[in-house]
Amino acid sequence: MQELIGALSLASIYVLFALGMSLTWGTIDILNFAHGSIFMFSSFTAYLLLQRAPLPFLVMVLIGIVVGALLSLLIQVLAFEQILKRAKDKRSAEMQILIGGIGIAIVPLSIAQYYTKSTPFGFEGSPFEVTKLTFGNYWITNVQLMTIVLAAVLGVATSLWLRRSRQGLALRAIGVDSEVASIMGVDRRRLALGAMAVSGALAGLAGILLTYSLGAITPESGDTLLVKAFAAIILGGVGSTAGVYAGSFLLAAAETVVLTQTNGLWVDAVSFGLIFLVLLVRPSGLFGRKEVRRT
Amino acid sequence: MHDEVFRGRRRFAVRSMVAAGALIALAACSSGSSGGSSGGGAATGGDTSNLPATIKVVSTNPTTGVVAFAGNAANKGYDLAVKEINEQKFLGNSTIQLEKSDTKSTAATAAQVATTAIGDKSVAALFGSVSSNEAVAQSPLAQKGGVPIIYTQAGSDGVVIGDYTYRATPLMREYYPIIKKFIQEKGYKSIGIIYTQATPTLQNIGGQTLPAIAKELGMTVTGSIGVQGTTQDYAAPISQILGGKPDVVSILLVGAQNPTAMKQLRQAGYTGEVLGNSGASAGNLKPAGADGAGMVWPVDFNYQQTAASSKKFVAAYKAANGAEDPLNYAAEAYDAAWFLAKSIKQAGSADRAKIKDGMAVVAKEKFDGALGSGLIWVDRDLQVPGVVVRWNGEKEDLLYEAAGVSTSTVSPTSSGSSTTGP
Repeated sequence: MQELIGALSLASIYVLFALGMSLTWGTIDILNFAHGSIFMFSSFTAYLLLQRAPLPFLVMVLIGIVVGALLSLLIQVLAFEQILKRAKDKRSAEMQILIGGIGIAIVPLSIAQYYTKSTPFGFEGSPFEVTKLTFGNYWITNVQLMTIVLAAVLGVATSLWLRRSRQGLALRAIGVDSEVASIMGVDRRRLALGAMAVSGALAGLAGILLTYSLGAITPESGDTLLVKAFAAIILGGVGSTAGVYAGSFLLAAAETVVLTQTNGLWVDAVSFGLIFLVLLVRPSGLFGRKEVRRT
Repeated sequence: MHDEVFRGRRRFAVRSMVAAGALIALAACSSGSSGGSSGGGAATGGDTSNLPATIKVVSTNPTTGVVAFAGNAANKGYDLAVKEINEQKFLGNSTIQLEKSDTKSTAATAAQVATTAIGDKSVAALFGSVSSNEAVAQSPLAQKGGVPIIYTQAGSDGVVIGDYTYRATPLMREYYPIIKKFIQEKGYKSIGIIYTQATPTLQNIGGQTLPAIAKELGMTVTGSIGVQGTTQDYAAPISQILGGKPDVVSILLVGAQNPTAMKQLRQAGYTGEVLGNSGASAGNLKPAGADGAGMVWPVDFNYQQTAASSKKFVAAYKAANGAEDPLNYAAEAYDAAWFLAKSIKQAGSADRAKIKDGMAVVAKEKFDGALGSGLIWVDRDLQVPGVVVRWNGEKEDLLYEAAGVSTSTVSPTSSGSSTTGP
């Protein structure tokens, strides 16, 4: 049972992180490999500000969200939009954005590495205490509980917004055919910027929560999560919010089972092997759809 | 006849004076300075007059990436030693020019920077990476390329592989057993171990050395879990290990993994002490705050140790680094640099092969260095007494020092409480 709580908490972090990536990938065709750096740098910025003043938890979360959103917007305007303008077709644009994201990710990483000398940083000066809530023989921390609740709420909210709101419909229309959507009056640029901002905000939120939960992260922590998030999205199906949940929980559960039942060396091998098996049976992922419609 | 005797005595006196003068001149040429603030005595032999004006040495260490905390600290030790060597004119009119290349904590980059340095004929020697993974990639290149390379840390097999490769740090498995005294004093009967698979050193400690110690002391290993280097959340393995209800837990991780594991260990309800390793040093436990207190580990150096040569090094380091306490990585690098300087002096040349021969000669001598007194080389690995420290939540406290090199006999400096040395 305790392992289940741990797996649930881990999966929720994967959800918060992967949700942002899936949102932009499934709607505006941007697979942002700078997402991990945005996650880390949001937390790093909060850490820097915490050195100057004892900031309460909500302020730290707000900093993470704002920094994540701004960083994501900056990358979209300065890099991805420029690539899209110059790319000869959609396919080459996707590849260039992928490569560009990897390159851009190095900038915040290098800044954080330079400042911290790659030593771990955390929020030990924060007045917020990570406390334990015990029930019987089991326990969960307040941060883990918050992460689980937020992942659930934000996931449902994102899914409902995409399906039922006008902007969500417009965003999904861009994902199907951006030119036709534009002809129909959809402001592609504004919606793309909005999607990137939300994506970055989610990454920033995940960064703050994970840093509180783990106690410390390093400038390289975002890279590890990036691979996991990518795997969760593929497993669940690109562009599907339910798929992000399913992929994240399946991945976290597989990791926990392997870690507790075998030598920990096999975690990644078994986890990614499982993904491979699922994709053999359902190439579009658990909740992915075969048809052109990608949202 | 009287004149002949007088002339004979005069010739004898002249010859004696010439011989004495020659002896005096020879002594003046062969003795350099006494060698560093704690770099040990002068190397025997060696004529520094043939050395080039500048001797280029490259430090190939990670200054970014997950092991940067060790690489940066090592470079500070190299900087201090080179500064002293040059200021004291230990190599006569020659100076060592130290360059630094960042290996970025990856084996591929480590091999690349080593290859670049080896290809540069003006480079006399290398200081190899602190990381085992990187060092294993560098050693074959240096050995085959005929370039002397001295490592610190990098405690795995496949690093010291030939006469061009030296390691100025004992293997962790050699000094880790000095923690036996601590375990015995505490009366632990069982242990649960979590260790990272990411480094060969900690794989060995977690998988073999510590279980062997436990067996020797009649302890039961209630659980042992190896985790990957990419693991960030330790709640699951901790829960499993604590399920075995061990008397003591061992966490053998690197860098940021340590504060996370300590926090989650305390959250899981474990309040006892934790057997760790020097990967938790360099302030890596600080983010854990009070939850980090209680981790105990053996290490080859602590700034509070009492050897006179160690204290001299600490004073010099603090003077050069704004009153900062030196880490073991800096002390190891300091001794490594002085070893190289003595080897160059012994060789009387900056030629790579001759330096290699000089190293073999110098390594036969016992010396006092930053890492302690009476240090010896065995099979090109430095042997040191070692100490045991405990993290108190803010800094390391010295618990005790081992009595001497290559012995399990321990001579405690205190009854277990912290000591800052005389």
